[in-house]
Amino acid sequence: MREPLLVLDNIRKNYGAIEALKGVSFSIGKGEVVALLGDNGAGKSTLVKIISGGLEPTSGRMIFEGQDYVARSPAEAKAAHIETVYQDLSLCTNVDVVANFFMGRELTRRVMGIPFLDERAMEAVVAKALANAGTRIPSLRTKVEHLSGGQRQAIELNRFVHWGGKLVLLDEPFAALGVEQTRRGLDMIRQVADQGIGVIIITHIMQQAFQVADRIVVIRQGVVAGDVERSKTSPDAVIEMITGQNLAGAGAAGGMGAVESPA
Amino acid sequence: MTPRMRKLLEFTLDNLVWFMLVFVLAVFSALIPNYFQLGIFANIIEASSVLGVMSIGLALVIIAGHMDLSVESVAALSAMAVGILFCSAGIGLGIKLTPAWLAVPVSLALALAVGGLIGLFNGWLIVKVKMNAFIITLASYIWVRGIVLAVSGGRSAQDLAPAIRWFAIQRFIGLPLTAWIAILCFVLFSVIMAKTPFGRHLVMIGGNETATYRAGIRVTRYLILAFVLAGAIAGLSGWLLAIRTSGATANLGIGLLFNAFAAVVIGGVSLKGGVGALPGVYAGVLLLSAINTAINLMGLPAVYTQVIHGFLVLAAVLLDTFKTRLRQKLA
Repeated sequence: MREPLLVLDNIRKNYGAIEALKGVSFSIGKGEVVALLGDNGAGKSTLVKIISGGLEPTSGRMIFEGQDYVARSPAEAKAAHIETVYQDLSLCTNVDVVANFFMGRELTRRVMGIPFLDERAMEAVVAKALANAGTRIPSLRTKVEHLSGGQRQAIELNRFVHWGGKLVLLDEPFAALGVEQTRRGLDMIRQVADQGIGVIIITHIMQQAFQVADRIVVIRQGVVAGDVERSKTSPDAVIEMITGQNLAGAGAAGGMGAVESPA
Repeated sequence: MTPRMRKLLEFTLDNLVWFMLVFVLAVFSALIPNYFQLGIFANIIEASSVLGVMSIGLALVIIAGHMDLSVESVAALSAMAVGILFCSAGIGLGIKLTPAWLAVPVSLALALAVGGLIGLFNGWLIVKVKMNAFIITLASYIWVRGIVLAVSGGRSAQDLAPAIRWFAIQRFIGLPLTAWIAILCFVLFSVIMAKTPFGRHLVMIGGNETATYRAGIRVTRYLILAFVLAGAIAGLSGWLLAIRTSGATANLGIGLLFNAFAAVVIGGVSLKGGVGALPGVYAGVLLLSAINTAINLMGLPAVYTQVIHGFLVLAAVLLDTFKTRLRQKLA
């Protein structure tokens, strides 16, 4: 068993009378890749927002690196080194690669007390970080709108790793990518996880989940309907958990730990 | 397309307005008698100072992805406040301060405060209460002008205190100090927008507000500050307007808003936000002023200026659309 990074314990979220989450519990270890699956409206995005800031759970608690954790805003989550990489939502395409890499954390030089952007120092840092990760981008002064989807994702992930990220949530990371770019993206996720970073991937595409995840967590109707190791399950079994045809994997609300795959 | 050609094309698109300005000045100088004189060029710069300053504030808010229609009325109210306190004729109260130069900082602070407060009100409603910027600032455009009418009773204030008028009379290298104030503002805000984290964050907010929020940038605070700045800068342009006309009338500055819009859009600022730089806006202001001067010199009846300005705004928006499309093809 890996050292747990984030533990969710009986997380509930009500919107008025509607229960979006009815007690979700699971955990993710350091360097582990978890695929979070579930049908539309199952509560995935609510869960993501609770973890990455922006929504507070109605009840239940989260333990991150052994300490109680609540993120009232994305900034708080970020301070705890938890971040979501949304498809095309985390980059400003109207500025260049360097500006995006340092978004909100710009290096400055003070001249008479006034902070000025230290462009040269920032560019050097970005060049080094991207080179270490083996990402090649023609010019760091190119506006991001001129870059491909794969390059954008590489920037986002490298940025996350560079700033000491510990847990990253990827929301439909390959929705708009081609075959080759997706393959490189999956490699990159593996590489990120190997550095001890926890990765949660939210996806609809079963094949991708099985390609990269160590464990598969299925959310259905606001509860964990299945929490299985990839090696012990099959796409068909997971689909049954998602649609609820077979309830063998549907642990009780609050159930924790791996559940055996349905026969 | 080779990278070099793309670079060249992008450079042209980014600085299109400067090329247009040079082209227009060249054509006017060649075709209109007496246009090519230093005095005329100085006049073009001088006449554009009020509009120029106002355009800076408008450009800031548009670059940050919003809109401020109230700048014209805000400028009028600031001018009226200065006029009522420091004019000695008409509805002016003719307040005397000792020493007399004290009227300069006091009137300037008053103009900035009036503008900043209205900007704060706009910004709070738009950013915190999340109301539509277009409607809120349109409302401000109307009610602020209403206050100008109400406090002046439709009458005017004349004979501004000489200490303040000094800025319009005193010249430095052939230009009155009011023009230098405008130029200084452009330099100052160009540097702020291009070289400081504040400017960089405003541009990024205009490009993708969600991303900047996720990155932990305090979007709300920045946006409210942008509206306050736009208001305060409009107040400054009102102060300059009062100096230029040596007082204030109830209908002071009417029509400036659309000229400011035209200047901002011609200057390469996209109405969609996130794109544009202030030097271009200054070129846009100068371009409008150059055209106005040409109309005057040719002796066209002034009634046609409005038609020409209308078509200029139209042309500017068309140009914006055209440039966006071209950039998409480049991408």
